[in-house]
Amino acid sequence: MKEININVEHLTRIEGHGNIILNAKNGNVEKVMWEVSEAPRLFEAFVREKPYHQLAQITSRICGICSIGHTLASLKATEAAMDIQISPQSELLRRLAIHGENMQSHILHLGYLVSPDLFGVGSVIPLVKTHTDAVLAVVKLHRLANEFSEVVCGRTTHPTNLIPGGFYKTPSPLKLKEYRQKLLDSVETAETVAEIILDNIGALPSFSRETEFIALTTEDEYALYDGVIGSTDAGTYPVEEYVNVVNEFVVPQSTAKYCKNKREAFMVGALARFNLNHEKLSPMALKWAEKFGLRPVCHNPFMNNVAQLVEIVHSIEDSVSLIDRLLIDYKDESRPVITPKAGRGVGAVDVPRGILFHEYTYDKDGICKKANCVIPTNQNHNNIQHDFETFAPQLLDKPEKEIELNLEMLVRAYDPCVSCSTHFLKVEWKR
Amino acid sequence: MKIIINDTEYEFKKGQMVLDVARANGVHLPTLCFNPLNAQARPAGCRLCVVEVLEGGRPGLQSSCTLPATDGLKVSTRSRPVYNQRREVVELLLSEHEQDCRNCFVSGDCVFSELSREYDINGVSVCSECPNRKQGCLLSRGVLCLGPITYANCDAYCTRRGYNCEGCHSVMKNEDLLRFGLEAFAKAEFTKEEILEAARVFSFEGVDVLEKVMIEEGFK
Repeated sequence: MKEININVEHLTRIEGHGNIILNAKNGNVEKVMWEVSEAPRLFEAFVREKPYHQLAQITSRICGICSIGHTLASLKATEAAMDIQISPQSELLRRLAIHGENMQSHILHLGYLVSPDLFGVGSVIPLVKTHTDAVLAVVKLHRLANEFSEVVCGRTTHPTNLIPGGFYKTPSPLKLKEYRQKLLDSVETAETVAEIILDNIGALPSFSRETEFIALTTEDEYALYDGVIGSTDAGTYPVEEYVNVVNEFVVPQSTAKYCKNKREAFMVGALARFNLNHEKLSPMALKWAEKFGLRPVCHNPFMNNVAQLVEIVHSIEDSVSLIDRLLIDYKDESRPVITPKAGRGVGAVDVPRGILFHEYTYDKDGICKKANCVIPTNQNHNNIQHDFETFAPQLLDKPEKEIELNLEMLVRAYDPCVSCSTHFLKVEWKR
Repeated sequence: MKIIINDTEYEFKKGQMVLDVARANGVHLPTLCFNPLNAQARPAGCRLCVVEVLEGGRPGLQSSCTLPATDGLKVSTRSRPVYNQRREVVELLLSEHEQDCRNCFVSGDCVFSELSREYDINGVSVCSECPNRKQGCLLSRGVLCLGPITYANCDAYCTRRGYNCEGCHSVMKNEDLLRFGLEAFAKAEFTKEEILEAARVFSFEGVDVLEKVMIEEGFK
C-alpha cells in the first residue's frame, strides 16, 4: 500500500493562515490535523481601560469582512451592560446593516473563494476569461452589498454610523428608497449566480458527519440580529449563559481555542442557521433551498456553501420588506444621548460565519474592565478537525492531489476567518 | 585643525569640504547630486546638504559639499532652519512627482520615499481634503473631530459623510504641522485629556509628540 504525506502550509483562499497535515500508511490514517498557526490578536486586552464609546470602534477592527457584525455584537453587549433601550426604528436599521454584511460576505466567499473549486481552476482570475458573465454578476452583487452597507453604516468596513444607543446619523430615507429599488433589481443577478452554482454543484464532495448545530433562534423571524442560543441537540439557552455553551478549551496545534457543547464538537454558520430556522426563510430563499435539495437537518458541511447562497436571497428579500416597514413612519433620531452605568452585558449576533459573542464589564464611568469575545470560526475549528478525522479515511484510495483538494474544500466550506479566531498565546519561558 | 559639527570636534585635512569631514565621521547629511565615484565634480545643485554656519564663517545656510573646512568653523546639520530648508527642497522636487509616497509600492526602496518620510512631506491634515473646512466645521459644532491633526489621503471619507474623523490614519508626527492643526482646537472646548484619549485609539508614536506640543501650547 502506498504512503501518503500531505502538508498544506498555508491553505489559500481562506481568510488567515491555517495548515492541513495528513500522514497515512498502508491504508491507515496515522495523523490528520487542522493547524491554526496565526499569531494571537489580543483585542480583549486592548479594550481594557477604554471608555464605552470607543469599544465598538476598536473591536470592529478584529475583522475586515465582518466588521459590521463585530460592531453590532459590541454595541449590544454595551447596551445590555448599561440597560440602554434602542428605538424600534434603530433596531430595524441594524437588521438592515447585518443583512448588508451577510450578502457582502457570502457573495465574496462563494464568488471568489469557492467558485474556483467548482470549476476546477486555481483562482477566480482564469474564470474572468471563461465565465465572464458569472464573474460580472458576482462583482455586481458584491458591489451592491457594499454600497448598501455604506448607506446604512456610513462606511463599508469599520462602520462609523453605528454607536451605542442607535445611530450617529439616521440614514437618508431617499437613499433607502433608492436602494430598495436596487435590491429588487438585484434579485435577477442573484438568481443568475444561483443558477450557475446549481449547474456545477456536482463538484462538491458528498460527505456527512452527524454533529450539533448552534445558532441564534427566535419565534418570529430568521434570527440574525437578535434571539436566544438554539441547539439542534439541546433546545435553547439564554444568551447570558454563552460560556456554558461554547466551553472553550486549548489544544496544542492551534493558537485559536476549540469549542464543544453536547457532542465532541459543534458547527455554527449559515448551515447551522438553516438547520435551526429554515421555516422562517423568505419564500424565494425556500424555493432555492428546495432546488438545491437542501433540507434540514443537513449534516453535510459542504452544503454550508449552498446555505450561504440561500441566505443571500433571503437577505435581499427581507431587506426590501424591512425598508418598507421602516419608511411608514421614518424619523430623524441622530445621536441619541445615553448615560454610562456599571454592569456586565453579553451581546450575541449571528454574523456571516456563525454566532458571535461579545461580553464586557464596565465600571460606573463606563470604563471597560473586562472583555471576552468568542468568534464563530473558533467554534468551528473543532468541528473541522473532527470532520477531517472522519473524511480522510474515506479518501485514501484517491490520488494525493485529489485528497489534498478535498480536504482544502472542506475547510473552505466553513468559510473560516482564521485571523479573527486566534486568541491563545503559548509562551515558553526559557530561563 | 578642527571643525565643530553639532557641538562635536572633528579633525580634518587641508582641502576637505565640510561634507567630506561629516561623511568620514558618520554624521548624516542627505545628498542627491553628489556622486562619490566622481567626487571632484560638485555641482552643488540639489541643496539638500545645507548646513547652518554658526561661527567662523559667513553666517547662514551654505551647501556643505562646497564649503571648505577651516579651523574653528562651527556648523549645525540639524537646526530648525536647516530642516525647513531641506523640507522645502524635497517638497519642490516631489511636487512634480506623480505618485504619493505613502501609497507607493516601491516604498522603502526609493531615496525619495525615504526623504519624504524623513521630512514629512505628504503630511497634510484631513482638513485639506475636507469639504466642511470653510463652513460647517464639525469642531465648531462641538464634535470632537481629529481631522486637523490626522494625516490625510483618505479623501476625508468620514467627515465628507458627516462623521467625525477618528484619526485612523494616525496622528501627525511633525511638530510644526501639529502646532498648526491644534489652532483649530483652540476655539473648541475640549480638554487636553479628551483629545489625547481620542487620539490614542489609532495612534501610537504620534501621541507622545502631540502631548508634548499640547503642553507647549498651553492646552489644559
